Amino acid sequence: MSEQKIGVFICHCGGNISDYVDVEGIRESVEGLPGVRVAKTNMFSCSDAAQEEMISIIKKERLDGIVIASCSPKLHQNTFRAMAKRAGLNPYKYTQVNIREQCSWAHTHNREEATRKAARLVRAGIQKTLHARALEPIVTKTHPAVLVIGAGIAGMKAAISLSRMGINVHLVEREKEVGGLIKKRESLFPTGQDGRETVKALYEEIRASHNIALYLGAKVIEKRGSVGDFSVDIRVSNGETVNLSVGAIIVATGAIAYRPKEGAWGYGRPGIVTLKELLDIISSQREFRHLRVNGKEVETITYIYCVGSRDKEHTYCSRYCCTAAIHTSNLIHEKWPGISQFHLFRDIRTYGSYEEEYKRALSRGSIFIRFSPKAMPEIEFEGERPVVKVSDLLTSKEEIEIESDLVCLVTGLEPSPNRELTDILKIPVGKEGFYNEIHPKLRPVETVVDGIFIGGCAQGPKTSQESTISAMAAAAKAGAMILTGSVKIEPFVAEVLSERCDGCGLCEDICPYGAISIREESGKKIAVINEALCKGEGACVPICPKEALQIRGYEHETMRSMIDALIEGYEDVSD
Amino acid sequence: MIRVNPQLKKEIERYGDFNANQCFSCGTCTALCPMGLKILPREIFRFSLLGSEEKLKEAEDAIYSCLLCRMCEANCPQGVKISENIRILRTYFTERFFKI
Repeated sequence: MSEQKIGVFICHCGGNISDYVDVEGIRESVEGLPGVRVAKTNMFSCSDAAQEEMISIIKKERLDGIVIASCSPKLHQNTFRAMAKRAGLNPYKYTQVNIREQCSWAHTHNREEATRKAARLVRAGIQKTLHARALEPIVTKTHPAVLVIGAGIAGMKAAISLSRMGINVHLVEREKEVGGLIKKRESLFPTGQDGRETVKALYEEIRASHNIALYLGAKVIEKRGSVGDFSVDIRVSNGETVNLSVGAIIVATGAIAYRPKEGAWGYGRPGIVTLKELLDIISSQREFRHLRVNGKEVETITYIYCVGSRDKEHTYCSRYCCTAAIHTSNLIHEKWPGISQFHLFRDIRTYGSYEEEYKRALSRGSIFIRFSPKAMPEIEFEGERPVVKVSDLLTSKEEIEIESDLVCLVTGLEPSPNRELTDILKIPVGKEGFYNEIHPKLRPVETVVDGIFIGGCAQGPKTSQESTISAMAAAAKAGAMILTGSVKIEPFVAEVLSERCDGCGLCEDICPYGAISIREESGKKIAVINEALCKGEGACVPICPKEALQIRGYEHETMRSMIDALIEGYEDVSD
Repeated sequence: MIRVNPQLKKEIERYGDFNANQCFSCGTCTALCPMGLKILPREIFRFSLLGSEEKLKEAEDAIYSCLLCRMCEANCPQGVKISENIRILRTYFTERFFKI
């Protein structure tokens, strides 16, 4: 390593860093260290002028690598990697040291200590660059087909979007019909569009698309490979196994309507129904002058909101139910105006333009009664007639009793029972049981597994409008990836030092991504890494008793030299 | 305790264009009422909607204290015709309780 020549650039960041860290002092302290050919400071390293100057220094001094001590790598790592590339360096021979967020901004009260910390981080960064290897991103070709799991509104929309991009789609649905949650619904908010007709139109388009293969009554049983080149086995309705080669997977497995436990909220007794059941009753009686339940004309309906939402069991809001219940009550107001409707709610969340539905219900005579989660409504029975008791927050907790012909429990959504699929795909599930995106704002349809995307209610409760939007976003991401033809992956993956490995298999068991397998090579058992699957997450490194695994860019030797640089001069504390 | 009686609202509606159900209980009217009667007018409407004749009867003084100044009505975000609704309630009271 002694023949390496590197440059160290320390940034003032205007004063963001230099007001609290002695930037010039650090420059002096690293100047002349082994391997350090150049040590300079910049007022703003990210400025064009400073970048040009650094490029000319790299070229003139024929540097092998650089360290820039500035802000967080989240901000400028890509900027300076690109700069290193322009200067003819391998981008991975550049190390960014964060002395702004981690030093000057964190320790404004103590310049001396902030400087000391920054100086040590810079020394560690120098070691990192001195040990850095020239790396190249891993490039994988993409297979021009996508697997969409689930043929509800989200899955169908995703399949059609991809098909229109000219990409082959395999659409797998475990039920015998398409349509998911809306296949039997008549009027969907906000437009009142018929759910059955929506599903039929989508289904017909799928049937007419030559590049969509639809598998009903089928399920995924195995997934191998990685981004760009997945190999998936599905079991189709006649029991046969079909193998599919796809470049990406979209998971649109939806959600299921919550059903209260028998007995809770009087559920199971006559007159107590869920929102879904109420919609079925309306559908079956839409032609009649009167709405009847158990042969009796309905005069009063009481809705109880947030059943199976925002409680101990389900801490989340199911988003769609407030609007769906109010939309339903509007259908009833229109069809049977004589029916009195009472809404017992915690908070009405008819967000955005759905507020119109709420206003319409108010003007048509729906009465809204707010309760506290500390005093949930109770249902008692007078004979067979349910009486709902509630304490009304809007009239200073007046106790109110509503004799009702029908009590509608406005139920939320629960995750689909997908444990098997989750195990096969190895994508993370949040604490509520829905699939997790990488970042709710910036990467809302991608999972941590490259090439696997999520859409619709599989990710969490959504309205049909929101489901469609997220499914089309997933289709756009998958489509863009497929049509590019190849994918680039960061090269920070695990590697096996074959002379040390004895094939014990501990790493294979601990890898959460299934990226390691034990194979027999020239009579010796050895761990083999699938680089396209590996996330460089590092669980395999400490578990290996032989130190035979390391992450590229964070090799054992690199890490040790960095730690040595960080603690240099301190007394040995290992005893 | 109020036993809900949807009939009362239907009864009151016979006396005019009673649109208290537009109210979403924000309380702007109560805050603005120059008479400072806490029950005016939001809760009165609520008792009418829930059908508690008894509670309404208890609020008789408040109903007749209203100045019909329309301070509340001018500021109601839901467009409830508050003074008109109070008039309707007075008509209802006059016929039902005072038999005039």
